[in-house]
Amino acid sequence: MNGIGAAEMDEAIRLKHRVEQFLFLEARLLDANAWDEWLRLFTPTGMYWVPRERGQQDARTQVSLFHEDALLRNVRARRLANHRNWSQQPPTHGTRTIGNVSVTDPGPGTIVVRSSFQMLEWRADNPRAFGGSYTHTLREDPAAAGSFRIELKRVDLVNCDAIHENLQVFL
Amino acid sequence: MYTNEQLADMVKPDKVHRAVYVDPGIFDLEMERIYGRVWVYVGHESQIPQTGDYVTSRIGRQDVILVRAADGKPHVLYNRCPHKGAQIVPPGGGHVERHFRCPYHAWTFRLHGPMLSAPLRAGYEGTAFDPADEAFWLRRVARVASYRGFVFASLSEGGDDLVDFLGGAKAAIDNLCDRSPVGEVEVAGGVFRVWQNSNWKIFYENLHDTMHAAVTHESSVVAARDEYEASMAGQDMPFVLHIMAGNGEPYQFWEKLAVHAFDHGHGFDPGGTDRDPTSRAHYESLAAAVGEARAREILGMNLHNTIIYGSGSPHTVFQQFRVIRPVAVDRTMVEIVTFRLKGAPEAVFERAVTYANTINSPSSNVMPDDVELYTRVQKGNRLDGGDWVSMHRYCGTDRDIPGGKVAVNGTSELPIRNQFVAWKALMTEGGAGCGRAA
Repeated sequence: MNGIGAAEMDEAIRLKHRVEQFLFLEARLLDANAWDEWLRLFTPTGMYWVPRERGQQDARTQVSLFHEDALLRNVRARRLANHRNWSQQPPTHGTRTIGNVSVTDPGPGTIVVRSSFQMLEWRADNPRAFGGSYTHTLREDPAAAGSFRIELKRVDLVNCDAIHENLQVFL
Repeated sequence: MYTNEQLADMVKPDKVHRAVYVDPGIFDLEMERIYGRVWVYVGHESQIPQTGDYVTSRIGRQDVILVRAADGKPHVLYNRCPHKGAQIVPPGGGHVERHFRCPYHAWTFRLHGPMLSAPLRAGYEGTAFDPADEAFWLRRVARVASYRGFVFASLSEGGDDLVDFLGGAKAAIDNLCDRSPVGEVEVAGGVFRVWQNSNWKIFYENLHDTMHAAVTHESSVVAARDEYEASMAGQDMPFVLHIMAGNGEPYQFWEKLAVHAFDHGHGFDPGGTDRDPTSRAHYESLAAAVGEARAREILGMNLHNTIIYGSGSPHTVFQQFRVIRPVAVDRTMVEIVTFRLKGAPEAVFERAVTYANTINSPSSNVMPDDVELYTRVQKGNRLDGGDWVSMHRYCGTDRDIPGGKVAVNGTSELPIRNQFVAWKALMTEGGAGCGRAA
């Protein structure tokens, strides 16, 4: 409690609670394959990025596992919904567990949140495990008081440089 | 074990026996008779710029080290210490000062393989141990050759030299390099490595299979088109959507393509022409270096997938090499390497990264449907539902060209038939010059 007053502590706890509620909502939508609802969590300029290398700084001159703006996220969601998406027959299902949530930059304007995640994925009798960290850059949602929109979701997989089979759904 | 006659009987002019995709015994023979004989791409010289730089690679089942030795040239060594057999270096790349040192008992070796020293030499007095004996060296693979920086190696002493082996496919490597205003490329931008749970030949056969594009890729074609209509109708279709929607071209588009098949199973097929700002900037930088006529000639050679049978598939326009590594009869690793054209506008390289992200990433919207179908081919061919796989399309109509054939129709299965001509020759005849187009 050194140097931190009760009012500041209350503020920090309230912010962390709001952030956690948002991350848990996001995970629920992804776990439910509710892609269209998940897309609406982003700002119009929001990015979804899964680097190929640990600590990767640049997505223009280094390949990325995912580097998607709204256009590309929409295309992925449309493909996942297409009835001739052979590689999604049967579809992918997953469950994501989030922990170690910490607000690493409380703003103003945007806030940065780092969390750890583990994901179990299941498709066509094949289980896969993914894990790593999420780094969310969030803005207050102008349309829903107390909630957020995603400016950047960065997913650092612990096995980003593995030999991967298809990665079809958002992590 | 199969006799040569049995292997030969598996390949007919217009069909091939399903066993070639699913029988582990045939895979073992392929590792010996194909990957043990042909030139296989191991890496690019730009990955090892300095003496002592190395990168690990693989030829068939052999883990090898590509290293730049004291003579300034690339060398390829088996990754095995002659003492106890330990792998000398871990997977990946790095740099060693002057020599390799085994981490098990500190035997050391010159960068091109000869033994330097072992600790406590007195212990070997009176024994057959002899540092001058090649049995105590890091073994070098039989042949190594570099073509414009692309290093290939062969586990076999005999056979065509690299340039003769590449034949008509050499033009694709030339074109990839010539697209640089200084005529050189370098590996850059990181790699993707992806699994396909299917036989290696299925991927090669798909690379020039134009009949699958609109069918297999319908989901990504429709998604790209619909998103374009919904969010930006009337504007120029952006590159990332264009390369997804392109698979949806009508059959008439594919029928007009001049698909080439060369000796040794190689080949290439043409791509579309680009008129975007990045292509114009590229043309201007190249024309400044080599003149407008030559620049038009180089950029006008617009290839899509090239096949170098046994190595993989370079793509000249988007500057990449999909290296195809068979791992088991039903498991294939594909490594996608991107190149920078030295001296070309940075936007050309960034476009190559975007292409790799969109098409080659394990997260691609395009490849998963390919990979799914390869897996289904693999699974279906394990069944007793029929023994033969068809390659009848336009069979008997191929036209001869120097060093190969050209298809009368872009939807021809000539490339597949051509690969099996090479396959059959390598599996049953061996020796120098085998695998020429029949």
